[in-house]
Amino acid sequence: MTTAENGPRGSSGMPRKTLIVLAAFALAGVVFAGVSSYDFIAHLDRQVHAITCSIVPGLGPKDTSGASGCHAVLMSPYSSVLRELTWGGIPISLPALGVFVFLLFRALDLLLGKRIARRETVFLIAATALPVLTSIVYSIISLTMIGTVCKVCVGIYVASLGVFVAAIVAHVGSSPAGATQEPGGSSWGLWGFYFVEGVAMVALPLLLYLALKPAYADSLLGGSGLRHPEDKYGVMIDLGGAGAVPAVEVLDPLCPACKAFSERLAASEKGGQLHLEYVLFPLDKQCNWMVGESLHPGACAVSEAILCAGSRAAAVLHWAFAHQDDLRAQGGQSQAAVYARIKRQFPELEGCVGQPAVRSRINKSLRWIVANSLPVLTPQLFVRNRKLPDEDTDLGLDYVLSRVLAGGTASGVRP
Amino acid sequence: MNAGMRHLVLVLVAFASVGISVGTWTRAAATRMADTQGKAPEVATAAASDMNYCTGDLKVILKRVLTSCGLVAGATSRGCQPLQARQVAAMSGGDFNALFTPLSERAAIIQFDNDSADLDAAATDLLDKTFSDRRGASYFFVVSRASPTGSVQHNRDLSHRRGSAVLEHIQATFQDPDIDQEVGLLWLGEEFAQLDKQFCQWRRSRAGSECNTEELNRSSFIAWIDCRL
Repeated sequence: MTTAENGPRGSSGMPRKTLIVLAAFALAGVVFAGVSSYDFIAHLDRQVHAITCSIVPGLGPKDTSGASGCHAVLMSPYSSVLRELTWGGIPISLPALGVFVFLLFRALDLLLGKRIARRETVFLIAATALPVLTSIVYSIISLTMIGTVCKVCVGIYVASLGVFVAAIVAHVGSSPAGATQEPGGSSWGLWGFYFVEGVAMVALPLLLYLALKPAYADSLLGGSGLRHPEDKYGVMIDLGGAGAVPAVEVLDPLCPACKAFSERLAASEKGGQLHLEYVLFPLDKQCNWMVGESLHPGACAVSEAILCAGSRAAAVLHWAFAHQDDLRAQGGQSQAAVYARIKRQFPELEGCVGQPAVRSRINKSLRWIVANSLPVLTPQLFVRNRKLPDEDTDLGLDYVLSRVLAGGTASGVRP
Repeated sequence: MNAGMRHLVLVLVAFASVGISVGTWTRAAATRMADTQGKAPEVATAAASDMNYCTGDLKVILKRVLTSCGLVAGATSRGCQPLQARQVAAMSGGDFNALFTPLSERAAIIQFDNDSADLDAAATDLLDKTFSDRRGASYFFVVSRASPTGSVQHNRDLSHRRGSAVLEHIQATFQDPDIDQEVGLLWLGEEFAQLDKQFCQWRRSRAGSECNTEELNRSSFIAWIDCRL
């Protein structure tokens, strides 16, 4: 091992204050990436967890509704990789945690040394470029693909930028190359050694994660199917889809989880193999006797609009997804306000919504739910008449879909 | 501490901190998952309504009426005429009508012209509104009557035609594949369970018109029953 102290006295222009700043940003990165990893790993138990979405990690109200940007990003297909190989995939924040721990370690190692060679700052710039480039890519994904900003992720972006800028400042502030003699040993050898250390520090949490994460037994896939999958009431909405595998999704157009689920399914490669039909299950007491209080007020009126729209049902559903918050707020005021909003947006539906014929169709949709003795919750997905466990409709979606589409009957325990 | 030892200590601290953290979080998730496996989720199952007015007595009558006067596929009964209705109900006309008192919010009276079984616009409108407001109800009753004007046999036939008109309109408008399993049809003519004036307060297709027992009984009484049998 070669460090600044080992060789002859080299350049000593690297300002220690800049290194302290770099260490501080790296520590912030460790904290933010740690919080993000903790939140992701907590969901490996297939349960619902409240998460804190705050720029001050751990502080702030817990999000139990799933409405925060952090929750949206966590549940998005971009929060992890290799989702079809292992339940939930490998969270992106985990290698980020390893990188920030490594950067903190490098900064402390240099701070505690007496002399710092210029080649150290060159390595720091290279090492800090990785998180800053990743942050740029993910901030673009967050804004353009997910359409929200996660405060914890912003903390990681800021920390990434901070360590990168600090590394550049440290390098610029150090003595020019050749002005002083560098410590002994080749720079490439030193960089190679640090690189291996960095890779090990990233690999360790990944390997531990893969080794210790909960096993997913195929028996969990043996959920109930539909007792009466036939559409004798004519309530299924066929929105097409390129896939050939028959699937039925039970949804409420004003349910945030349904919107998020539809987005995950649309982004999933496996989801593209499904030919999806929808059954509406508005959790709104205006038409649904199974809920004592409206979980999604206004959902009955919006469901009527979807049924009225016929071939334009997809357009109405997407509009409802895009305006869920407004529509629920209006539904909380009065059903008439939601009808008025629908008629303004889709004038061609004016003669249909609120009329007995479409109300009867909504009722038939609910009776289809009753006939199949489904739980009173949304969303629910049935693929080849086999229910995907409710716990697997978020992080585990790609993994479980790939198992179901592949047959999913192999015995034994999978990762 | 020399540089090599310092480097080693820092590396070990870094590895240990990240390893212990990730290992602890991951094992905790695995333990929680193991604890929750096999436990049924606490989520209600979708079911038809069973309101608190569905007393044991009401359910007995309901079952009897649906079995004898229903349109259940395969059954020979296609509704009950007065004598059958009296036998099925096994009670007086007044008691029979009293059974429906708790259903005032779920019922309507579809009125007809004298000696007519034609549904007018107000009748179809109220019929459509009432039938489409099904909610979680499992059964729909159509109880048709005639006023005492005319012969008993004529009124028996007239009330039958009134009930059939209501049923045909429902079938044509709503095309409900379950209608045979959910409708109980009785036509009572003038012979059994005539409506008294208290039913003038119920929803009627001719709410704006004068209400007397003659007008009231030229009708089909319809109601959704929110009971599970």
